[in-house]
Amino acid sequence: MPNPTALTPYPVTITKIVDETSDVKTFTVEFDDPEIMENFGNKPGQVCMLSIFGEGESTISITSAPTRGKFLEFTVKRVGRLTEVLHQMEVGQKFGVRGPYGNWFPYETMKGKDLFFVGGGFALAPIRSLIDFALSDQYRKDYGRVEILYGSRSYDDLCFKSDLFERWPSLSNTGIYTTVDRGDDNWKGRVGHVPGYVEEVAPSPENKFAIIAGPPIMIKFALPVMEKLGFKDEQIITTLEMRMKCCLGKCGRCNIGSKFVCVDGPVFSRAQLKGMPQEY
Amino acid sequence: MEARIVNKGQLPELLDKLAKDYDLIAPVKEETLTFFRKISCAKDAFLEYTNSDISPKGCFLPQSEKTFSYTYTGDSLEIVKPEGAKKTVLFGARPCDTRAITTLDPVFEGVKFGDEYYSSKRENTVIIGLSCTKVLSTCFCYAFGGGPCDGTGSDLLFTEIGDKYYVEVNTDKGKALVDTYSQIFSSQGADQLAKGKEELAQKLSGEFVRKVDLTGVKEVLDGNFELPYWNGDDYKKCIGCGTCTYVCPTCHCFDIFDYTTGDFTGDRIRCWDSCMYPEYTLMAGGHNPRPTRKERVRNRFMHKLKYHLDRYDMVGCVGCGRCVRKCPVNIDITKIINDLKEVAQNA
Amino acid sequence: MDVMQQLREQAKKLLEEKKVDMVIGFGQGTELARTTPVFIDSPEGVSALTWGPFCANNLAKYLVDYKNAEGNVAVVVKGCDARSVIRLLDDNQISRDKVVVIGVPCAGQLEWQKVMDEIKPDASLKETTDNGDSFLVKTSAGDYTFSKKDYMLHRCLVCENPNPVISDITIGKELPVKNYEERFAEVQELEKLGTEDKSAYWDKQFSRCLRCYACRNVCSVCTCQICVFDQMKPMWVSKRTNLSENTVFHITRAFHVAGRCVDCGECDRVCPMDIPLRKLNQKIHKDLGDLFDSPTPGSKPGMLSALGEFCPGDPEEFM
Repeated sequence: MPNPTALTPYPVTITKIVDETSDVKTFTVEFDDPEIMENFGNKPGQVCMLSIFGEGESTISITSAPTRGKFLEFTVKRVGRLTEVLHQMEVGQKFGVRGPYGNWFPYETMKGKDLFFVGGGFALAPIRSLIDFALSDQYRKDYGRVEILYGSRSYDDLCFKSDLFERWPSLSNTGIYTTVDRGDDNWKGRVGHVPGYVEEVAPSPENKFAIIAGPPIMIKFALPVMEKLGFKDEQIITTLEMRMKCCLGKCGRCNIGSKFVCVDGPVFSRAQLKGMPQEY
Repeated sequence: MEARIVNKGQLPELLDKLAKDYDLIAPVKEETLTFFRKISCAKDAFLEYTNSDISPKGCFLPQSEKTFSYTYTGDSLEIVKPEGAKKTVLFGARPCDTRAITTLDPVFEGVKFGDEYYSSKRENTVIIGLSCTKVLSTCFCYAFGGGPCDGTGSDLLFTEIGDKYYVEVNTDKGKALVDTYSQIFSSQGADQLAKGKEELAQKLSGEFVRKVDLTGVKEVLDGNFELPYWNGDDYKKCIGCGTCTYVCPTCHCFDIFDYTTGDFTGDRIRCWDSCMYPEYTLMAGGHNPRPTRKERVRNRFMHKLKYHLDRYDMVGCVGCGRCVRKCPVNIDITKIINDLKEVAQNA
Repeated sequence: MDVMQQLREQAKKLLEEKKVDMVIGFGQGTELARTTPVFIDSPEGVSALTWGPFCANNLAKYLVDYKNAEGNVAVVVKGCDARSVIRLLDDNQISRDKVVVIGVPCAGQLEWQKVMDEIKPDASLKETTDNGDSFLVKTSAGDYTFSKKDYMLHRCLVCENPNPVISDITIGKELPVKNYEERFAEVQELEKLGTEDKSAYWDKQFSRCLRCYACRNVCSVCTCQICVFDQMKPMWVSKRTNLSENTVFHITRAFHVAGRCVDCGECDRVCPMDIPLRKLNQKIHKDLGDLFDSPTPGSKPGMLSALGEFCPGDPEEFM
């Protein structure tokens, strides 16, 4: 039954804020009306429209897996007017959320397989929902080895540090590979770009899905590496970003060819992307 | 399908009654232009027009509308929606424009997400179409399956034949209106005028000047995104204004923004936007998937001739010709269609 | 040899000799009485060039697109368009050595809709001839005469100078310059109105505005990389059309181009809502003349802009 009230946001209250980096924060929010969370039904990979009243709306991925609890986590980078205002908000304050929108990672198809995540910079956020989904108590047994290869410009720019260095390594059958473009005194680990690290780690494509998200430049170099390693187009999954206003497939602007990123995406396989115009 | 007759002399009486019982939207002359506006009496209507300068799609997707008002203090939030649409009659829309509304329906009332604002107006509006009596040199509705006397999208279709209007009752909504004003809509002799309408449709269909043929066009656009054709003159001469999109009856792109005067209250507004503007797809970090006019011009025509068809099984153009008339630099979709047909034939 | 022939020959020569990589001119449009800008980049393509009383567009604005292109560009200009070229050069929008100006003295341009109302719509154009106070238009469906008084563009009725004041290659003979006095007649009519009536007049015009920005985009002196009205931070105007924002747009734009507007009248022609935009700019032109004794911007090569320079003799010490 189509939801005709899709343009109206629901009030949420901020319950926690984590400063990931100097310009990235993760907001944990709960709906003022708990029934909405009960029926929300968000799946890993979906997005929401956040309403900052007076500034407008912005499309943000839900970075928390639905298995984590009765809340939503949004990781937001401060890039424009709206995110600037959001970054100044405090725990206890409210804003609006509507969703969940878009398609989701094909987590059913991925069952029984190993998962290799490749993330760059801020873009670990959209795939984190799938990472936590696969690592959740509920679904851990459905997935094989979960590896996360993640890099950012510097140590300070690494998001989700507590997940990377504490929570995820403590879970069974995981492998975490972290790198930074530029080393400094805070960082004792590997220095180098993400695509190069992928080549080094050389994951085998056998029984595996690769889930990649990052800035366009990283994707541009990472995809050929995956191909060289033998990953087929159907095995490579990515999530795209576009300017969005309605997130309902109506306002027209997020189209790539005949597809709307807000409805037919943002999750696409490389096979699907190859059949679409290269206009994103 | 039922039919009725309205004597031309009784039309003002009908319009006056409709204006009293409904919000009546009809063509109105303003200096050199014709617009669809709310009228309060029959004499304000201008029915000797060919086609309006802006399509009546504004009855369903207004240039700007409030989606809700809010009161927001940071710690508290209240949202108030506007009232639903009032009972409305849209009178005098041409067949191309009523057909255009049917191309907007799948966009707004689509599978997963409805649209309360559009649906409320759609449900509460009776569309009374008015067949054309003249074909302009810029008209080409026939190319998309329409015609000057086509009733697609109208609840009632009026066709002027002699001193009467032949009225086709196309939907239950139309029937309900006809029954309410049964003293003006008479069924006597209605069937005899059907032939007159056929003859008019035949006559007008011979008057089209533009020869537009879509054969092979969709096929050449499928899977041929980087067609060299788009490197031609069209993007060079396009000045990137929004004229074509704003006068178009099938364009539906919109923007959403908040309007506030800084006192904790404000309105969220939805308004028309245009894919021809550079900032239409500009992302916050500065990346723009359609950075130059070439990408935007290509996107516009591919949307009309392919993408809309892919998604909704209907072509995204109805051949009203407004963009052809209004484009400052004479970018002409009929020429582009015929050029693409040639590309298809030479392939 | 007639103008069209000469035009094609000269364009061909420029391209063959590689003096330019592109010739921007007029080509036959999709209505008999319309032309469309054409961008010719090969000598064989010059047959697309045309000339006549249906060449209303000001092509000078396109020069801005080729400012950073590798080669040179030639552009066909009429009297009014040539002023745009001078302004673009003075605004450093393109360097002089990149541009070849093909100047064609213009006997007037006709309103295509008015012409098409009289002509059989599927006729094809054969020839046009200037007969002084009318144009003779020969078509496949017969010959038609259009009096300039009744069919010309409004702006051509008070044409300041039909002869391009900047021209590397002039095609066609020089034409007499018209009487200057009627030029501000409409502005004077409006000036006579009281404040309330003036306000009501402009409210009525601006309330029709779609904010399509055709007027801004076609204007040869509106060359800002990011227009103030497209800015998001801060958002001076939204995309909503209402009287307040429409008025802000038009009045602001008139002032932004004041002192540089060359009165080519394109803004007026392209407006899909028939808003008489030129009257706004003409008021400023009239004031420039009255207050600063300044001729129309762009009307003399090398002239300085009245609002853009300070002379020691100016009455105020500061601009």
